[in-house]
Amino acid sequence: MHTWPFSWLPAADVSQDGWRADALFWYTTTLCVIAFTLVALALVYSSWRYRARPGAKALYTHGTDRRSFAVTGVLAAIVFITIDMNLVRVSQHDIKDATYNWPTAPDTVRVEVMPQQWAWNFRYAGPDGVFNTPDDVVTFNELRVPVGHPVMLNLKSKDVIHSFYLPNFRLKQDANPGTITRTWFKALRPGDFEIACSQMCGWAHYKMRGDLFVLSDADFSRWMKEAEGDAKRRFDPADTEQMWGWEWLQ
Amino acid sequence: MADTRRNLLYAGPDFHAEQHIHPEPSSFVRRYVFSTDHKVIAKQFLWYGLFFLAIGGTMAMMIRWQIGHPGTAFPVLGELLWPESGGVMPPQAYASFFTMHGTLMIFFAITPILIGAFGNLLIPLMIGARDMAFPTLNMLSFWTNVLAGTAMVVSFFVPMGAAAGGWQAYPTLSTLVGQPGPGQSLWIVGIFFTGSASIMGAVNYITTVVRLRAPGMGYFQMPLSVWGIWLTAILNALFVPVLAAGVLLLFLDRTFGSHFFLAGAAVTKGGGDPILYQHLFWIFGHPEVYILILPAWGIVSDLLSFFSRKPAFGYKATAISMSVITFLSMVVYGHHMFVVGMSPLLSQGFMTLTMLISIPSAVFFLNWLGTMWRGAIRFTTPMLFAVGVVFVFGLGGLTGLHLGAISSDIYLHDSYFVVGHFHLTMAASVLLGAFAAIYFWFPKMFGKMMNETLGKWHFWLTIVPITVVFCGMLVVGYGGMQRRLYNADEYAFLRHLHPVNLWVTRAALLLGASQFLFVVNFLSSLVAGKKASENPWEVGTLEWTVPSPPPHHNFDEIPLVVNGPHEFSHPDVKGKDWLAQNEPIAAEPVALGAVGR
Amino acid sequence: MSTVTFHHLPAREESRRTSFVGMVMALASWTMLFGSLFFAYAILRLKAGSWPPEGVAPLPRLLPFVNTLVLLASSLVLHRGARDEAEARIGALREALRGTVALGSLFLVLQLAVWVPLWRSGFTIASGVYGSIFYGLTVFHALHVLAGLAVLLALVPGARKGRYRSGRQNAVRLSAMFWHFVDAVWVVMFVAVYLL
Repeated sequence: MHTWPFSWLPAADVSQDGWRADALFWYTTTLCVIAFTLVALALVYSSWRYRARPGAKALYTHGTDRRSFAVTGVLAAIVFITIDMNLVRVSQHDIKDATYNWPTAPDTVRVEVMPQQWAWNFRYAGPDGVFNTPDDVVTFNELRVPVGHPVMLNLKSKDVIHSFYLPNFRLKQDANPGTITRTWFKALRPGDFEIACSQMCGWAHYKMRGDLFVLSDADFSRWMKEAEGDAKRRFDPADTEQMWGWEWLQ
Repeated sequence: MADTRRNLLYAGPDFHAEQHIHPEPSSFVRRYVFSTDHKVIAKQFLWYGLFFLAIGGTMAMMIRWQIGHPGTAFPVLGELLWPESGGVMPPQAYASFFTMHGTLMIFFAITPILIGAFGNLLIPLMIGARDMAFPTLNMLSFWTNVLAGTAMVVSFFVPMGAAAGGWQAYPTLSTLVGQPGPGQSLWIVGIFFTGSASIMGAVNYITTVVRLRAPGMGYFQMPLSVWGIWLTAILNALFVPVLAAGVLLLFLDRTFGSHFFLAGAAVTKGGGDPILYQHLFWIFGHPEVYILILPAWGIVSDLLSFFSRKPAFGYKATAISMSVITFLSMVVYGHHMFVVGMSPLLSQGFMTLTMLISIPSAVFFLNWLGTMWRGAIRFTTPMLFAVGVVFVFGLGGLTGLHLGAISSDIYLHDSYFVVGHFHLTMAASVLLGAFAAIYFWFPKMFGKMMNETLGKWHFWLTIVPITVVFCGMLVVGYGGMQRRLYNADEYAFLRHLHPVNLWVTRAALLLGASQFLFVVNFLSSLVAGKKASENPWEVGTLEWTVPSPPPHHNFDEIPLVVNGPHEFSHPDVKGKDWLAQNEPIAAEPVALGAVGR
Repeated sequence: MSTVTFHHLPAREESRRTSFVGMVMALASWTMLFGSLFFAYAILRLKAGSWPPEGVAPLPRLLPFVNTLVLLASSLVLHRGARDEAEARIGALREALRGTVALGSLFLVLQLAVWVPLWRSGFTIASGVYGSIFYGLTVFHALHVLAGLAVLLALVPGARKGRYRSGRQNAVRLSAMFWHFVDAVWVVMFVAVYLL
């Protein structure tokens, strides 16, 4: 951490689709910088060139002549077509190709996420492949996923609205009480990453941190086998709180 | 300059409509407390708004202090407020502070200053009327707002303190689940009262513009300041009730156990829908941001013309663009909810509609530049602030593009990028616009001039830090930092952003300190400012044809309007470069059946 | 300075028109308020599977239907009595106001006759979404009926003194607009809450 030069770029993107958010951000920023530089130049130039001086008279025009309409109209059209419509086009591709392109592959790992004030609960379906059964693997503040496989999430909050945020994946999805929301991601590199909450959820919102462990296939299988064994052993039929899961929403 | 020498047109002593000249009230209470004079009410709103601006601004300084120097006591005030933690702001207070900072700034600073004060001051004077259509309703509107402000202030002192669920107050955090104390309920009461005050004001402003314009003042002869305030009033009248409905249902959930917004573990039988609240809130909320900026747009449009000594470029197009934006603002609200889980089709619809707003925005923004082009620009303090608005609004408006596109918004949602965006467009633009308006109309309101030197220092010491602060937020937002974080150190992925945050904090503290230049200027000018003439800025709108300050009844006779509001540098006018709206170009007026004089 | 005479309507007529515009805007606001509540109802109902939700008895319809007729009658009575006083016979306004207030009060009484037994039977505002909508909407509307009654009652002393014979007609007209508005909201509410 140094004061100069600032390091201010976002966390490393390790996901399959995170690049889209960065690309669109920089594309938009480039177009905006061009547009704003022109505006700023016009402002500075006008301020200097057309400042009041003895003898200098302003041009009397209401800007309603044909040429003025044309210039304004054309400039506005240029802005709209080159910037707005372009951004819409790129974004439409992104949401079709990634955001709402729900994974259907059989190797998709499915996890139910239940945030609460102020922690993250995760649930895997376990050997029977059905959620909210005694063999589910349930973890607290730790999400383990295999690298290179799609991971699909169902989210439902226990209490207030939270938002599941993976900075290294450029991913955010609100989790609401009472309804299920969905999102998905795929990690391209193994590693340890952070989970954060990005919806104000109470005074300890700032501390609602979780860990995402992206493991190799082998490590993930090994962990899952161990966890499933633990789940079977530790299942307590009297503990109803533990059965917070729900029927999977595809 | 005695105005008997000027060639101004009046509608004649027979034209009094319902605007009889009422005798001035004599008692102190009727003159200064429960006054129905729009000019007095304007001043009441101005003081009221500046008071809450100071409170909201101080809270912002304290929030920034915590972000920049986590775990450090805030000087002086910290010890007073939080002795148990050694003057360090606790996280619960932090949540309250950012909630109430937003609430107070929006409803109790911007709204009273731009809409309450300048709406009241300008509408009757600029359209050539003696007062608002409903003077008593006007008075009620101010005092209802005071009730609201009282509720908000009181909420700080109740058990568990003021509301702390964010200014949007999303359930279920804002229900008893998240906010069990009375603070949130008092907040709802405050919102209800301030909303009612806004609606009362809106009905008044709309009716006044529709009905009380002086003869000759068509809609397209009105100053753009009036357009801005009038369009704001229309949005206020239509959309504040939607907020009222939302918070009413929230109040019922909190107080009577209803289930409009309750869902999740707290609900035992038949839950409601927290997202319904977000729909209701943002159906109000998006028009609200236009409500806050429209007056400033209008005022800046006028000031740029006034000080470029040139007609407003594309006046009609600007008025129409502002109207189109007013309409479009009603159908774009979903861009605040892209990560909520709405259907993709709905989200895409909102994205496309949101992008459409660029067109009218580009038009009036280009018209601003066109107004300055080939002008003879006088860089007075009001003009500096007006150009400042063009600058910060240009910046802020462009950052809306990042947020309007769904796939970039998903990453930027609820981050500091959003905070930077709305502060640039809403806070910086509106604040600079408010200062422009205050410096400009201070002579008319108080009969004295403000100090130009102090004003210019104030401008530069404001615009530079304000740009640094909110551009810095854009940077940390893209860097990944979420909003409403008490201490970002909890996350490894945010620690590298701390230096940027520290510089933002320093710039913010400088910004705060610079405002004392304004306070000193404002107060000293009130007491000892140079006496203002009737028309020190040499502009043509009708308020400058009456003394500074105007008499109780504004106009001895209602003016007869023959020009638009921006007749500057007309080639046929000799000896001066402006014309009053009721001043014909030719030396002799065309008399239409003149009677009397 | 030059002066030019300008023709316009008499001050009284100008004032009437101005008040009318103001009232229209105020009613537009109120329409958005009730509109938002109906919007909330629509969203919650669409989200719920069945309506009424399982296990909840459907609402009674007879009394609310009678109430609709009561309110419509009250509007009719008010409308006929509030016509330009110069044309109507002396005392017409006073009688109309009394009639409207009586019918409006009857409405409130009948509403209570619907609410109280339901509440006592365990169906309260806390009875899930269904109860929330039912009581939230109808009670909020009833508060407006109460406000309308207060406004009309405030006209009675003036009517008795014959103050509303031309000139001060404004107050009557504006109050009547509010009353008719409250009536219209009820018709929509009756259909939406009880019939649909």
